[in-house]
Amino acid sequence: MTGIDQLGDAGPLPPVRSFGGEAFALPRIVVAGGCELALPVPPALRLPVTLPAPVVTSLEPLPPRPKVQSHFFSRPVDVAPPAAALGDGPQHLAPAKVCRGEARRARIAPPKDVVKLSERFFYLLQPDLETMLRGGKLAFPRQPFPFQFEGMAFLLPRHSAVLADEMGLGKSMQAISSIRLLVRSGEARRVLVVCPKGLVSNWARELADWAPELVVAVIDGDPARRRWQWSLPDVPVKLANYEVLVRDRDLVAELGLEFDLVVLDEAQRIKNKSSQTNRAIVSLDRRRSWALTGTPVENSADDLVGIFEFVDPGQINDRMTPKAMAGAVTDHILRRTKDKVLTEMPPRLDRDARIELGPEQRETYRRAEEEGVLRLADMGREATIQHVFELVLRLKQICNFDTATGESAKLERLTAELEEVQASGRKALVFSQWVETLGRLRENLSAFGPLEYHGGMSTTARDEAIRRFKESRNHSVLLLSYGAGAVGLNLQFSQYVFLFDRWWNPAVEDQAINRAHRIGAAGAVTVTRFLSASTIEERIDEVLRRKRDLSETILSQADGPASAGLTADDLFSLFELAPPRRAAA
Amino acid sequence: MDVQRAEAGLEGLSFGFLTTLESAAHGLFGGYLVVDALGRPLEFHCTAPVKVSRAQQILYGPTLHGHLHGRQVGGALLAEGKVTPAVVLTDNDAMLHVRPHTHLPLALVRRGAAEQIAAGFLVGEAVVSPHAEDAARADELEARLATLAAAVDLCEPFERIRAALDEAARH
Repeated sequence: MTGIDQLGDAGPLPPVRSFGGEAFALPRIVVAGGCELALPVPPALRLPVTLPAPVVTSLEPLPPRPKVQSHFFSRPVDVAPPAAALGDGPQHLAPAKVCRGEARRARIAPPKDVVKLSERFFYLLQPDLETMLRGGKLAFPRQPFPFQFEGMAFLLPRHSAVLADEMGLGKSMQAISSIRLLVRSGEARRVLVVCPKGLVSNWARELADWAPELVVAVIDGDPARRRWQWSLPDVPVKLANYEVLVRDRDLVAELGLEFDLVVLDEAQRIKNKSSQTNRAIVSLDRRRSWALTGTPVENSADDLVGIFEFVDPGQINDRMTPKAMAGAVTDHILRRTKDKVLTEMPPRLDRDARIELGPEQRETYRRAEEEGVLRLADMGREATIQHVFELVLRLKQICNFDTATGESAKLERLTAELEEVQASGRKALVFSQWVETLGRLRENLSAFGPLEYHGGMSTTARDEAIRRFKESRNHSVLLLSYGAGAVGLNLQFSQYVFLFDRWWNPAVEDQAINRAHRIGAAGAVTVTRFLSASTIEERIDEVLRRKRDLSETILSQADGPASAGLTADDLFSLFELAPPRRAAA
Repeated sequence: MDVQRAEAGLEGLSFGFLTTLESAAHGLFGGYLVVDALGRPLEFHCTAPVKVSRAQQILYGPTLHGHLHGRQVGGALLAEGKVTPAVVLTDNDAMLHVRPHTHLPLALVRRGAAEQIAAGFLVGEAVVSPHAEDAARADELEARLATLAAAVDLCEPFERIRAALDEAARH
């Protein structure tokens, strides 16, 4: 029989296994019959008593304080003029009218070539230009237009700039005001303005008008006098014409003259890179180079290369496409047109007056053209551009006045038009390519008190003609040559412009028209282009119309034709002649 | 000190403008511009960007903006100023938390109309609300700011600061 007869006190206890530090004994089991049933030793077990330390993720608080970069402005831009400059005449900018709804004001944005952050901050942290000027109580003879402030904000920070506004938008005023600000702020102490000879007195007047406190020295006279003028140390602005500068190139170098700023007016004068004028200008020692021109691309894209030899040498070259050129110069050129910025500008009415030549004049013209073309045809390949050019000139002159009889259909039409102009108390400008034509017009238009303005007159005589035309009611007509009268003159009190004959390049015609159609024009300006029907004039007009837009094309960053004026091919094509063969390049 | 400078006339009078620019790529930039009475810059200070993590956003909760703008950014900027302005203006509510970290009077400026003024005054077309701690100085601040407002729109310098901070972010 087997059975459990006793539980309990049956001998020594078996070894004790420890579990987790606490000892306990298993009871010994004895069954009947002496058999001992021992339970198998259980496997060791360990039970965790203490929890392991958890992994702690620490979240950083915000960094103590961010690093701060500081910029200090040593002195604010001071544009306050001396008390003497603040008279009753000039207009001061109105008190600030601020906040909501106000038109965006002109800010001086840093040019792209300013890369240092602290220098960019300098521009970005200035108040808008009008506020700067208002703060300094700077006086202007007339309240500038907002776009003119933008023009000044464009020029001021730039060392290389082309202000290419359309004629009549006030390029010289913007440049003078910017010069004034640079001089007042101490940024410029020696400024040189270079302009065509015929515009020196105009610039002197404008400088006196827009920057009355600036002392200006006009460089002219004999060599000794010019040496003395160039050497004047305390004159902030010197004014010279291109011819003087070419003549005095060595003298300027000898005197070691350095300029903080050189401003070129009618900068297309240096478009030819190899010209003496270009070489003399680019040799000037200067820190800033500003070019003013309404026609930076007068004939071809290469014109701009010549101008940039002065503005920013190496920036563009004549191997670049117009599009690449436009991309390279975009930060350096500011171009505005009247239709974009002057919504309040009076309208310009353009009309082509197609003039039928009288019988005698027509006959003279016919004979001249036939003989001329026959002569060219006989010359064959020997005919040169000069031969064609001479024929064109001769035919154009006949269109003005019959060389045999003096008859002029244009003169008859002009006389009729001027009677109306005079009757209404208005004034008219008449442009011609030839001084001789102007003389004949003067003889025939005596009823209108005509005055002349051309390159054959002295500067004094020209200035006097402008003064009389402006001030006297007895002079209804001013007769101007394209060469002398197309640039720089402000004749906005004239309401009529007549182009008695046509220039070779539409840009020059536009310049002429804009003597009258510009800021301050009192009313609509009517432009009349005389074209003799079925003559060389109509054919030239057709060619020029096709080419008219090159300048705008380049400036609007698009590909365009290579030329805006008449080429040799164009001239030959006027008579349906083949141009002479050229040697291969 | 600032009152003494102000009483010296326009020459010594200056104004502080404090604001921030949030950049998705870089974080929060702070800028502090001190101008003279004609609105011309005298000093400019800007911070390196501060980027806040998602966890920090959660942990700081609604206190984050005040802490970040007031103590971190605003405090750091004002500590660098050398010129003592008559008042510091901000166009950012959160920046008002900088007040415990500076002795300078502080005011919030906003574009607005007279009827929108709750606790402030109108200067030009800008509504100026002084910090509660500076409410007692409202008349003095109004007189000082009227001088500046004759030259510039009180909201305009913030545009300059943001343009500069934007430039810094792109640099």
